[in-house]
Amino acid sequence: MSAVLGSERPQVVSHVQQALSYTVFDCKWVPRSARLMCLGSAARGTGVIQLYELRGTRLEVLREIEKPKPIKCGTFGATSLQQRYLATGDFDGNLNIWNLEAPEIPVYSVKGHKEIINSIDGVGGLGIGEGAPEIVTGSRDGTVKVWDPRQNDTPVANMEPVQGESKRDCWTVAFGNAYNQEERVVCAGYDNGDIKLFDLKTMSLRWETNIKNGVCSVEFDRKDINMNKLVATSLEGKFHVFDMRTQHPAKGFASVSEKAQKSTIWQVRHLPQNRDIFMTSGGSGSLHLWKYEYPAQRSKKDSEGSEMGVAGSLSLLQNVTLSTQPISSLDWSADKKGLCVCGAFDQTVRVLIVTKLNKI
Amino acid sequence: MPLWLREHSWRQTLTAVYLSLPLRGARATAANIFCSEQYLKVSVPPFLFEAVLYAPIDDTNSTAKIGNGNIFFTLYKKEPAMWDSLTLANADKEKLQHLRENAVLKAQEKAKEETKAKKITKQEHKKYALMATMKLEEAERKRIEDLKEKEREKVTKELELWKNQQKDGDKYKSIQTKEELHQEIESLKERKNEKMNKTRIPNEGSSKTRLKSTRGCHVSCSIFSQDLKEEQLPAPRAAATIKVNFTPRVFPTALRESRVAEEEEWLYKQAEARRIINSDLSELEDLKEEEKNPDWLKDKGNKMFAMGDYLGAVNAYNLAVRLNNKLPVLYLNRAACHLKLRNLHKAIEDSSKALELLTPPVPDNENARVKAHVRRGTAFCQLELYTEGLQDYEAALKIDPKNKIIEKDAEKIRQLIQGAMQSS
Repeated sequence: MSAVLGSERPQVVSHVQQALSYTVFDCKWVPRSARLMCLGSAARGTGVIQLYELRGTRLEVLREIEKPKPIKCGTFGATSLQQRYLATGDFDGNLNIWNLEAPEIPVYSVKGHKEIINSIDGVGGLGIGEGAPEIVTGSRDGTVKVWDPRQNDTPVANMEPVQGESKRDCWTVAFGNAYNQEERVVCAGYDNGDIKLFDLKTMSLRWETNIKNGVCSVEFDRKDINMNKLVATSLEGKFHVFDMRTQHPAKGFASVSEKAQKSTIWQVRHLPQNRDIFMTSGGSGSLHLWKYEYPAQRSKKDSEGSEMGVAGSLSLLQNVTLSTQPISSLDWSADKKGLCVCGAFDQTVRVLIVTKLNKI
Repeated sequence: MPLWLREHSWRQTLTAVYLSLPLRGARATAANIFCSEQYLKVSVPPFLFEAVLYAPIDDTNSTAKIGNGNIFFTLYKKEPAMWDSLTLANADKEKLQHLRENAVLKAQEKAKEETKAKKITKQEHKKYALMATMKLEEAERKRIEDLKEKEREKVTKELELWKNQQKDGDKYKSIQTKEELHQEIESLKERKNEKMNKTRIPNEGSSKTRLKSTRGCHVSCSIFSQDLKEEQLPAPRAAATIKVNFTPRVFPTALRESRVAEEEEWLYKQAEARRIINSDLSELEDLKEEEKNPDWLKDKGNKMFAMGDYLGAVNAYNLAVRLNNKLPVLYLNRAACHLKLRNLHKAIEDSSKALELLTPPVPDNENARVKAHVRRGTAFCQLELYTEGLQDYEAALKIDPKNKIIEKDAEKIRQLIQGAMQSS
C-alpha cells in the first residue's frame, strides 16, 4: 500500500455552500455544463426541482419547478446529451421524465410502484455505453423495475418477491455491465442486507448475498464496461467492495470490507475520471475519499480448480466533516475532475472541489 | 526569662549603621529577626536582643547576615545623619511598649502588602504567558487558513476557466444544432417540392428535379444517417419478471436491535441440553427403551397431569430429570404438579431451578419464564409469604404486560398485603 504524504494528499475544499428552503434528497450535475439540479421536498409536502448555475463563488437559481409530490431521486443516465431529460422518482411511486425547458408536462410518466421510489438509475444515455436507454427504479414495495422510455406503462423487467413472501424494502439500485447492446445487469440492495444481482440478458438472478446490515447504496465503478468492482455501503458504518470479474460458483464474488465511520454510510460515488477512487458520505456529515488497490493476482484457483476472485485493499485518502447532519446525496461532475456536489439533511447543498486527484 | 544580649558592637556612616551581634553558640535563622522602621528585635531562645533605634531606618533594604555565631546587620538610614547612639536612651517602659506594638503592626501591614504585590505580579505574569501562547496559536491558524485560501483561489480560477470553455463549447454546439435544424427544414421542403414536381411535370422539371434531387439527396443523406442511428438502438426489451426470495432470518429484527449474542447462547444451551444424558446405568437397565427418553417421559407426565394423576406425573418428571437435568421445561411442569399437590416448598424449588435454566432471557423463552414466575408466586402466596409472591407476579407482568389474569392476581395480592398491614 503506497503511503501518500501529508502535503500530497487530496484536499476537499468547500467551494460554495447554499442554504435551501426545502429538504434536499438528491443533487445531480447537468451533464456537459456547470449547472446542477437539486431535488427534494418542500415543507408543504410538494416536490421541488431547482436548477442552479455555478457562477464564481455563488450558486444562482436558474429555475424552480414545483411538483405535486415530493421527489426522492433523479438521474440523467438514460437521456441523450442533446435532450438532457431528467428522470425522477417521487414519494408516490411515480416515475417521470421531464424536459427541463418545458417542465409542465412530463415527457414520460408512469405510476411504477405502490410506494415511494427509493432509488433510480439510468443507463444507455449521455453517449456512454451501448444499448437501449433504460431506467431502473427500486421501491419500498420490494420490487425493482426496469423501464424503457419508449414503452409506456409496463416495465421491461420486474423483480418482485415470490407470492406470499414478506417483502423487504429495496433501498438502492444500480446498473452495470452494459458493455454491449445485449448485456446488462442490475444490482439491488435491500434493507435486510440482501444484495441481488439480476442479469437482464438472461432475465435471471445471477448472484445474491447478505451483508447483515441494511444496504444503503450500491454502485458499480463503471456502468459501461465489463463488471469490474461493486461497492455496497450499509448501516453501522461498513461498506464492502466486491471484485466482480470472477464469480465462483459457490462463494460468489470476493470482497473486502471496511468500517470507516460509526454512522450509516449513505452514498458511495466513484470518480468518473478514475474508477478506483470513490467517496463515501456518512450519517455524521463526513466524507471519506478512498482508493482501491488491486491485488497482485485478481483471481486464483481454489482446491477444486474453479476460479475464485481475490479482493484488493483499500486506503483512505482523505476525510472531512462538513455538516452535523447526514450527507444523503453526492454526485461527481463528469466534466471537471474533482468537482462534486453534495446535499445534506441540514438543508444545504455544497459544491466541493477535491484537489490533487491527478497525483493519485 | 530570656537572657538579654548586651555585647553588641556597632559603627555607622552617614547613610548606614552596621551592627554586629554575637550569638553565643545559638543558631539563628531569618525567622528570629524582627525588624521594623524603628525597632529591631532578635530573639534566639534563650537570648533576646531588642533595640529601639535612634532614627528610622529603611527596613526593606536593610540586610542581616547570619554566620559564624554572629549576626551582622546593615541598616540603611532613612535620613542621612549621624546618630548619637544606637538606641533611644531615654525610653521609658510605656513608650517602649507603644513603640513595640506599633512596630509589630507596621510589620504585619508590610507583610500583607508584600503578599498582595506578589499576587498581582504573579497574575500579570500569567496573563502575559497566556497572551503570548494565544498569539502563537493565532499565527499558526492564520498560516493554515492562508494555505487553504490559496488552494481555494487556485481551484476557483481553474473552475472559471473550465466554465468559460464549456460556455464556448455550448455556443458552438448551439450554432451547429441551429445549422442542422436549418438543414433539416430545408431538406423537408425539398422533399415536398420533389414530390410535387415529380407528379406534376415529369419532363420539364426533370432537370430541375435532378438538380433538386441531388441537393435533396445530399441533405437526406444526413437524415438517413440519423435514422440509421435510431435503428441502431435495440428495440425495448421483451417484458419479463424475475421472482426473488429474501434471506430468511431466524430472529426478524435488524442487526442492531437483535440480541444476537444472547439468542445464540440460548439456542446453544437448548442444543446442549438435548444432548446430555445423565445415565446411571444400574437403575436404568430395567427400563424400557422409550422410558429412557426424557421427551417421552415429559409427554407422559403432561398426560398424567391433564388427567389429574399428579403423583404419577411427578414420578415421570423425576425420572426424566434423572436422565437429563438441563431441560427447564421438566422443572417447570413438575412445579405445577407440586402446586396441585400442595408441596409448596418443592414447587418453589422447582420453579427457581427452571428460572435458573432459562437464562439468558430472550424472547424465545418468554412464555416459559412467565409461567415459572407465576407458579412460584402462587406457591409463595399459598405459604402466606405475600411480598415474595407479589415480587414474582410483578416479574411475570414485566415480561408479559398484557396478561390480564396476572394483573388481576397481582392486584389481589396487593390488597391482601395492605389488609394484613392495616390489621396488624
